[in-house]
Amino acid sequence: MTSLLSSISEQVAARLTPYIGQFNARMWVKAVARRELGMTPEELTAAHLATLMEGLRPSLSTLMGRAAADDLLLHIAREVC
Amino acid sequence: MRFRWLAVFPLLYAAVFGAVVSALGAPAPFVTGQRLLVRVLALAGCSLAVSAFERGDHLRRAWLWLAGGVIAILLRDLLRLLPSFQAGAAGPQAQAVLSGLGILANLCLLAGVWLLARAWKMAAISLPGGRSGVVAVALVTALLALAVAAPGALKSARDLAGGDWSSLILVVSAVVDIVTLCLIAPLLLTAVSLRGGLFSWPWGLVTASQLSWLLYDAAATLTPGGFPWGEVFRGMAENYLFAAGLAQLFVVQHVRRSSL
Repeated sequence: MTSLLSSISEQVAARLTPYIGQFNARMWVKAVARRELGMTPEELTAAHLATLMEGLRPSLSTLMGRAAADDLLLHIAREVC
Repeated sequence: MRFRWLAVFPLLYAAVFGAVVSALGAPAPFVTGQRLLVRVLALAGCSLAVSAFERGDHLRRAWLWLAGGVIAILLRDLLRLLPSFQAGAAGPQAQAVLSGLGILANLCLLAGVWLLARAWKMAAISLPGGRSGVVAVALVTALLALAVAAPGALKSARDLAGGDWSSLILVVSAVVDIVTLCLIAPLLLTAVSLRGGLFSWPWGLVTASQLSWLLYDAAATLTPGGFPWGEVFRGMAENYLFAAGLAQLFVVQHVRRSSL
């Protein structure tokens, strides 16, 4: 139901929020969308999810280690698609 | 809930320690024993945090340096129990070993705190308050650090200028102390920026540890009323490091379990 009501960026940010807080979750998604895709978060679609996940990987790896970051990104990709 | 207990534990420990000291008058074996206990707890916390990461992870290096610092200072405390290393009996060589371990511990802790403090930049975390907010908090912490650690550093520097080479170690330690205390600013701001997220806990608890060291230095400078405030704040600093290490392990484990 969530995926029908929220944009891709909102869904991804919502799944990052429990770990890095709402402010950073939104900022990270916004920064990656702009840097990697040249888009605003609202313009992101399911087709951009893989690039978004890859763009989030370095920051998440710094904070939680590569293994946990990989697990979390896989989980988010599974849930959001 | 368990994160709140981690935050409360060092305060409870300090209260119990204070109550026992008030009742018994700080007997040396008790004070030494509890000092070793908090060092061992801090080492356990750092080791558990290391275990949360894989080789090559940025924060694994940070926690390894912190663990190395605790090992060096624990070794110094253990050596001090030996007759040949005790105050008054220690010769120049024994004194050099103790001082060397003290400096090594300080440098390792500085490296660890530096790596933790740098994580916000590597992870592109947006610090609250913008550039002016960061500068303001950094200035306040730098002034506080100078206020509590600079008097000792100046005294040691004067002794050094007067030909007392043993003061060199104290000067180096005081300078490292000041730099480490200045890093409270990025640690604190990272914790605030991550508020609402589980990862704010390790940073918040490391910040509490560094603030306790600030109080420890202040107690050493002010030495109020004979009560061992230095021991209270040292215990808090080490216990908050233990709590931070445990929190680091818990949040990484939480991510991995929730992602299955």
